[in-house]
Amino acid sequence: MGKSKAGLLQGTLDMLILKALSLGALHGYGIGQRIAQISDDALKIEEGSLYPGLYRLERRGWIESEWDVSDNNQRAKFYKLTRTGRKQLILEEQNWERLAGATMKALRAS
Amino acid sequence: MSRIKATIRFLYARRHPDQIAREVEGELRFHIEMRTAANIESGMRPNEAQLAARQSFGDFHRFKTECCEISRSLSFDPMPLKMGLHIALAAFAGALALWAVNVPHHSFVGPFRQLVAITILTCLFVFVRRARSRQRLAGDHSSDIFMAERERPRNNEFFVSDAREARHINIAAHDDQGRTPVERMFKSE
Repeated sequence: MGKSKAGLLQGTLDMLILKALSLGALHGYGIGQRIAQISDDALKIEEGSLYPGLYRLERRGWIESEWDVSDNNQRAKFYKLTRTGRKQLILEEQNWERLAGATMKALRAS
Repeated sequence: MSRIKATIRFLYARRHPDQIAREVEGELRFHIEMRTAANIESGMRPNEAQLAARQSFGDFHRFKTECCEISRSLSFDPMPLKMGLHIALAAFAGALALWAVNVPHHSFVGPFRQLVAITILTCLFVFVRRARSRQRLAGDHSSDIFMAERERPRNNEFFVSDAREARHINIAAHDDQGRTPVERMFKSE
């Protein structure tokens, strides 16, 4: 994959974080790895930009965090989806499908 | 419940900014350490691995500052509160207008009571119009792509939005060299 930056929209990053966490609790590094994994490495995010996103989502009450010990015995902050966050993910997915459908329709118009 | 936790965290962050800064720093450092370890595992030398990890992370201090600022910012959307205040103000103005209409004729306000009521209601109408237009300008910047129900640009105004601000610019306005804002965007050289 080339190094060109595709400029992910802020809302998209939030949705990807929620999606990654819907599969289980993770620390920030793990979330980045999971996003890469579930997108078959098609989506690469500047890793640090995940964190402001995580703090924003936590402030909205869509995810919550707690400090725990990671696999390599280091203290790490783990995030998990809240019930509100799960509902929000469903909404975001529906909006995204609507937007993607409308854009594809516009692009295919002759 | 998560809202309550978020509010508690917000209050804690306001009272203990240094503690939050340390927590954020620890979290970001953990990420870089994990990435460094992964790079070493994939065959890089330790120095190269750390450098690559820092590069793929991006601007450490900027992200740390952003996280700290988000922790210290309001943990709830102030819009419902503002709407509540507007409704309360409207109710108060309505009551005042009603009082002005029903005030006894022989009192000081008496002869002008209808004028007073109309003035109060006009002020309220202007206030609501201005509040609504401020709300439209502030918008919802969760996405840079606007859906169909968004307001359309008026006349020759072009709606420009980014994460921090929203403003209207006049696309017909020319600069010193006779270029419109759109031309400046595409021909910045």
